[in-house]
Amino acid sequence: MSTTNQEEFINRIKMALGKPFAESRQKADLFSREMSAETRAILARIKNRTAEDRKKLLETFTEAAGSIHLTVRTCVDIAAVAAAIAEVVRHKDPEWGDKKRVVAWQHPLIESLNLPDALSEQGVPVFFSDVKAPERENLRQHVIDSYIGVTSADFCMADTATLVMRTRPGQARSVSLVPAIHIAVVELNRIIADLKELYALLKWDPQESKEGLTNCMTFISGPSKTADIEATMVHGAHGPREVHVFVIKHPGP
Amino acid sequence: MTKITTENYVAEARKAIKNQVLQRALADLQHRFGRGTAECYRRLPEGPGLRLKAHEIRMKTVENLDVVLETLAANIRKNGGQVFFAKDGQAAVNYCLEIAQRHKVRRVVKGKSMVSEEIDLNDALIDSGIDVSETDLGEYIIQLAGETPSHIIAPAIHKTRDEVGSLFADKLDIPYENDPPRLTWIARKALREKFLAADMGTSGCNIACAETGHITTVSNEGNIRMSTTLPRVHIAIMGMERVAARLEDHDMLLRLLCRGAAAQNMATYVSYIGGPRSAHQADGPQEFHLVVLDNGRSRILADEQFREILCCIRCAACLNVCPVYAKIGGHSYGYAYCGPVGAVVTPLLVGINRAKDLCLGETLCGACQDICPVNINLPRMLLALRAKLAEGDTAWGVTPADRKEKFLFQAWSWMIRNRGLYDVAVKLAAMGQKLLTLKGGMIRRLPPPVHAWTKERDIRPLAAESFISRWKKGIR
Repeated sequence: MSTTNQEEFINRIKMALGKPFAESRQKADLFSREMSAETRAILARIKNRTAEDRKKLLETFTEAAGSIHLTVRTCVDIAAVAAAIAEVVRHKDPEWGDKKRVVAWQHPLIESLNLPDALSEQGVPVFFSDVKAPERENLRQHVIDSYIGVTSADFCMADTATLVMRTRPGQARSVSLVPAIHIAVVELNRIIADLKELYALLKWDPQESKEGLTNCMTFISGPSKTADIEATMVHGAHGPREVHVFVIKHPGP
Repeated sequence: MTKITTENYVAEARKAIKNQVLQRALADLQHRFGRGTAECYRRLPEGPGLRLKAHEIRMKTVENLDVVLETLAANIRKNGGQVFFAKDGQAAVNYCLEIAQRHKVRRVVKGKSMVSEEIDLNDALIDSGIDVSETDLGEYIIQLAGETPSHIIAPAIHKTRDEVGSLFADKLDIPYENDPPRLTWIARKALREKFLAADMGTSGCNIACAETGHITTVSNEGNIRMSTTLPRVHIAIMGMERVAARLEDHDMLLRLLCRGAAAQNMATYVSYIGGPRSAHQADGPQEFHLVVLDNGRSRILADEQFREILCCIRCAACLNVCPVYAKIGGHSYGYAYCGPVGAVVTPLLVGINRAKDLCLGETLCGACQDICPVNINLPRMLLALRAKLAEGDTAWGVTPADRKEKFLFQAWSWMIRNRGLYDVAVKLAAMGQKLLTLKGGMIRRLPPPVHAWTKERDIRPLAAESFISRWKKGIR
């Protein structure tokens, strides 16, 4: 329905720019077709990153997190994270209603936490954002009913303490959005320095670029906030009021 | 934004200057954001010079906008989204209404978007019987109060906590309170119900990415994520210039946008949205529409004097340093866009004569260009607009704003090129000024036809003896 619209629209722009209609121009200059030397260097830097480098990045991440009210905790292994999450569940109260429920991503790392077991003692149920059809439809109600959402993240950007999350089946975006508390569990090897590294990976890394940005890629830097009333900073405007990041230091070899 | 009220600029400005609450809020805003943003640029690893590189990137995109937009549309369609190109506001509004009708939409949640103010989307939706909720806290307050935003990023900056408290008590039928965290929570609760009940969400677009086929939304509150995740349908509306060609361009643009908008290194939420949910995904909209809006922008693009304004990424940094905005606030500008950017873009969109006071009101001090994350030369364009108002312009349909002024300047120019005449005039003026009363050594009021000069300020009297006559006497 909109192709003629589009043609007219684009022609108006061409006229405005003083370009002849049929002129075909080189796109190469606008859209880089080849990896630049700079990008090559960035990718090499990421690939050759040592455990020591990552530790330094984690320090940067933690420092940046402080100024945006993002809580970062480092845990030695999966079991320690599960225990830490159980503590959060124990100490925090639901914002809406009084029943404690948790919703989590269907994601290898999150499933390995075995949260249903870790929280069974407190009698707190855990729902997973299912991939399969009938259960999938229940996700909306689960995120509304849950006060904590547990996700992982594709990357952590140290520079700004940012979680980068792409969308996949089972890894629903509302889990990090609707519950009042968002917990993200990540392995230290997902840490990168900044946006430059992120974009280089998404565009040029053979593995990452295959999936690209997906239909929704979200950056999360700390809890939701607003300063719209007399410029007073308040956390928890619409999104989560608290965000906790658990970083697993030694995910394996 | 229902009406264009640029004609009331002077009257509204007078009102704003007398409003003590507004004056305090504006001073505070400028103190915090103006300085904070400049400091943020200084701390950039690349330094403030990054703004110049960003300008280059923006300009290159604007100069290849046809190719960039075609690429963006093709990639969004590849991702399953739908793209509509709207010639003007009416076409964009009609398209949104059509989608709303097709999906039997009854409730809409809106992420903050200046372009939707520009095309007056709210009223159109409301007129067709749809419940529309602004969801940015500031916009929500403004909507409840039945007002218009007074700042691009902080729309309710002119309201005190007491006013918000009374407003909430009145409109939401709750007891009065005035504590910002409590008021925020009340809005959080009210809007959560709106988010969960909405059939359709609308948003703007900060900077789309053509080569990947995504729009971006940036917010601190999370309202835009809510509006674009929970409802069945998502419509994003973008001014046609709000796009970058390459993903890596977003590195500097996003960093500069966050710094310009709120002196932040990164906003809380940035989302790249490229299409509807896929078959196995449990959430996200079932349909995604992008509306690309011209509405007078191609006319700006065609004029090389003003093309540069299309580099603007609407961060509002220029408002936060402008000495004029600091005094008259956003409402005086009479349209969706205020401050220095409004003073340039509004005349170009609604008519240069109609919005003449906006560009005449600015001081040309240059603070706006210095703080602009993409280094737009706003003062140059303000001058260009003033030149059109002085000389008239057929392409833009401008009639000279003040023929008397033009005549006076022509007379002045003729006089100063005639030495003898000039000397006589100066002597006459020196004699004439003796008839005027002085106060503190300054002339308070000049006689017509130059009386307007002293309406708002005093002028120093001419020296008893001119420099040239002293020079001739050999006094060095």
